[in-house]
Amino acid sequence: MTSLRLQNLKKRFGSTEVIRGVDLAIEDGEFVVFVGPSGCGKSTLLRMISGLEDITEGELYIGDRLINDVQAAQRGVAMVFQSYALYPHLTVKQNMGFGLKVRKVPAEEAERRVMEAAASLKLEALLHRYPRELSGGQRQRVAIGRAIVGHPQVFLFDEPLSNLDAELRVHMRAEIAALHKKLGNTMVYVTHDQIEAMTLADKIVVLRDGVIEQVGTPRELYERPDNLFVAQFIGSPRMNVLLAASVERQLATRGLKIGSAHGIGMRPEHLSVVDAGAGILRGTVMISEYTGAATLLHIELESGETVLVIHNGQNTPRIDDAIGLAIDPENLHFFDGKGEAIRPLQRAA
Amino acid sequence: MADTLTNHVSARGLRAPRFSLRQREAIEAWLFVSPTVVGFLLFFLGPLVAVVYFSLTEWNLLTQQSTFVGIDNYVDALSRNPDFWHVLRNSFVFALGLVPLNMSLALMLALALSRPFRGVVFFRTIFFAPVVTSAVAWAIVWKFLLQGEAGAVNQLLAVVGIDGPNWLREPDWAMVAVIVTRVIKMVGLNMILYIAALQAIPRDYEAAARLEGASNWQIFRMVIWPLLAPTTLVIFVITMIGSFKVFDHIYLMTGGGPENGTLVLAFYIYEQGFKFFNVGYASALAMIMFVIVLALTVVQMILRRRDMQ
Amino acid sequence: MTLTTRQTRLISRTCLTLALLVVAVPFVFPFLWMVSSGFKSATEIFGQPSLIPRVWRWQNYIEVFEYQPFARQYFNSLYIAVTVTVLTLVISSLAGYALARMRFAGAGLLMLFLLSALMVPEEVTIIPNFFLIRWMGLMDTHAPLILLPVFGSHGVMATFLMRQYFLAIPKELEEAGKMDGLSRFGIWWRVALPMSRPALAAVSIITFLFSWNLFLEPLVFISSLERFTLPLALSNFTDSYGLPLWHLQLAATSLAVVPILIVYLIAQRQIIESFALSGVKG
Repeated sequence: MTSLRLQNLKKRFGSTEVIRGVDLAIEDGEFVVFVGPSGCGKSTLLRMISGLEDITEGELYIGDRLINDVQAAQRGVAMVFQSYALYPHLTVKQNMGFGLKVRKVPAEEAERRVMEAAASLKLEALLHRYPRELSGGQRQRVAIGRAIVGHPQVFLFDEPLSNLDAELRVHMRAEIAALHKKLGNTMVYVTHDQIEAMTLADKIVVLRDGVIEQVGTPRELYERPDNLFVAQFIGSPRMNVLLAASVERQLATRGLKIGSAHGIGMRPEHLSVVDAGAGILRGTVMISEYTGAATLLHIELESGETVLVIHNGQNTPRIDDAIGLAIDPENLHFFDGKGEAIRPLQRAA
Repeated sequence: MADTLTNHVSARGLRAPRFSLRQREAIEAWLFVSPTVVGFLLFFLGPLVAVVYFSLTEWNLLTQQSTFVGIDNYVDALSRNPDFWHVLRNSFVFALGLVPLNMSLALMLALALSRPFRGVVFFRTIFFAPVVTSAVAWAIVWKFLLQGEAGAVNQLLAVVGIDGPNWLREPDWAMVAVIVTRVIKMVGLNMILYIAALQAIPRDYEAAARLEGASNWQIFRMVIWPLLAPTTLVIFVITMIGSFKVFDHIYLMTGGGPENGTLVLAFYIYEQGFKFFNVGYASALAMIMFVIVLALTVVQMILRRRDMQ
Repeated sequence: MTLTTRQTRLISRTCLTLALLVVAVPFVFPFLWMVSSGFKSATEIFGQPSLIPRVWRWQNYIEVFEYQPFARQYFNSLYIAVTVTVLTLVISSLAGYALARMRFAGAGLLMLFLLSALMVPEEVTIIPNFFLIRWMGLMDTHAPLILLPVFGSHGVMATFLMRQYFLAIPKELEEAGKMDGLSRFGIWWRVALPMSRPALAAVSIITFLFSWNLFLEPLVFISSLERFTLPLALSNFTDSYGLPLWHLQLAATSLAVVPILIVYLIAQRQIIESFALSGVKG
């Protein structure tokens, strides 16, 4: 059983509280991603799980065991660091075998495990190189290999792909996903990149200012965000949010009531361009950005607000064209004055 | 994965840990610093406190007893014993002769040797060589070189028609001799510090000044010298303190003579403490030395703080 | 006729080199004269000066060892310097590591105390230390020559030098060590130290030379000839009137200085950098 339980975890550095009471259950074998803007506390939370940062308040369980004051190395977790943290004075093989040597694993057993990990990560040819002789992607794989050989119960990843170029990042992302599938371990992964979060996670934890904003599957977060922050953080380009008052009339003509909603969210990819006068919104094309697969349209509405639309079809409107925008009412998101999602209303629609 | 390491550690870890991680870190840290702390208390802080106490007592050599005499030893030094002011004057003459000579020579050598040219390593190696040489060896050799008529220095001077003095036998010349030979011994260290500072100055500053038509001297005066100020301050204080500490060099070259002409504070402390066993008086002298060094350090800190603002 | 830039540069280079050569004379000459005089007889030493001895008197180098137990004294200096260096490396890097990387109550105060020790010359504390060493029954032993440098201002300087270096090691590397199961001690020994070789080398070099050249402490604490260290032994080549036996003294001084100079010439870059590193701290 390698589930994780976080109960009202808090972390203070001096007088500033960076983790302000986090409750979270992570199931055995789950791939959980902590995501949030920089400074939200996601890395600190991961480091509290690893044992590198002590816990000011609250309780942390791995399985059934309270581990608040258990040393990092005895928690049964392994960590892949952002900078990889490979020992510069040791070869790839020594780096991977270092933890086993420290834990006094018999030499043949250690050798076997290192070779096994090296084979699965295609590192055999590099075993006798030093970290400085490796490319970024290779270092990343060694860092993962080092984590694997200890047969940890839980893998922790601290923004492991942020030092790689875009192409390699996509590639390593797939490798990490494959690794999770193969090993089936519980994994906790920190990133600020929401695409990484969406593609890797079984469960995403969105953090802001040291508190959890929402926990859910990628689909849940995308389709039913709990609040404005999550709605705009997940999805790219970010969700358009209009003042409810400015579209109240148009919605009413389709039998939609806004009720107590203060803001209405529409994802750029859910809006489609229709003839002026049709749809629920009217506006003028201000900017048109052709990206190959699609065109990004910046539309100025009659209310003066601007929305972004991803236009995939033919007949791309030109700048200064007056157009209408349509959306499936299913894809509308309603938020109250505090930014909390209003769900029942959406269902009633 | 039945053989996971973590399974058996977790079994061990079920026992509640005795200390929190924070406490454990503090305990470990104190273990790490414990040799330093014990040594520091025993051989530095303890003696420093003791020297204050000693300076207020008089030590009887025969009975091996000490009696409390208050500030008598300080009064002795400052008003009764004419030696003290003479010694203090010597120490300041030594310092005020050595520091400017050392620093200006160090700066000139550094300016000459901070740019790569053929022979730069050769000259740096030469100018630094006395620094790694033992002060005792250096003093012995110079004492040999500076003997009256037979000494190599005077023989060399005779070649160019100069009748050199009997360097170490005349009080004023002896002071000149110990200062100059000490500068030659130690200038390499300051030279290296200046070279490091000069090489840290971006070349663009000089290039910009040159484009504006500044001469070499103007560049040095208006660009380089101000940028060197923090280094100059550090070097000044190190060199000043070093000059107050100088002992072996003088012990071996002149033995404080002639006519106590080179008797400096560090030597006087040694002489009073270990030759005449005036423990109380020597301790009072040590305290005075401590205050001088402390004052220099404080001045440095104040200047440095002002520098940063 | 005006000179080209190249010509003026050539001329200024030449002038600079000549000036430096002149300045170099008092830096080099003592070494040459020391070695040459060490090969002269007592009478030739004060005769017509000449850099090359008329008669090479190798006998001096035998008499040096007969006059006092010079081999023993040489060995004393060597083993004391090695011991001081090893102890300083261990103790200063332990404390330097804790001050750089560990959080503990009293760290700030400890730093302040140690910093103050940097500035205080050993002359200030030598008198109480004399009584302390006597009380410990360690007079005329090598113990004070080891203890005082290791724990004195030189040891503190080494501690700060190590601390500064440890601060520059990426924190994540040590955290990786922690995750790999290393204790604090293990991180220090197997991660921090292997990555600090330049600092360790610098501390070794300056500590060895510091101990090798130490004079005041041996003078105060050592009285037996066979326990002398080199600097003390060198100052001891005198005749029955207390006048220096120059030919023996200079031969012995050559024996003490030349090996150090040879090592210095081989490793001058490393040695000079070590001093620069320690000087900036001071």
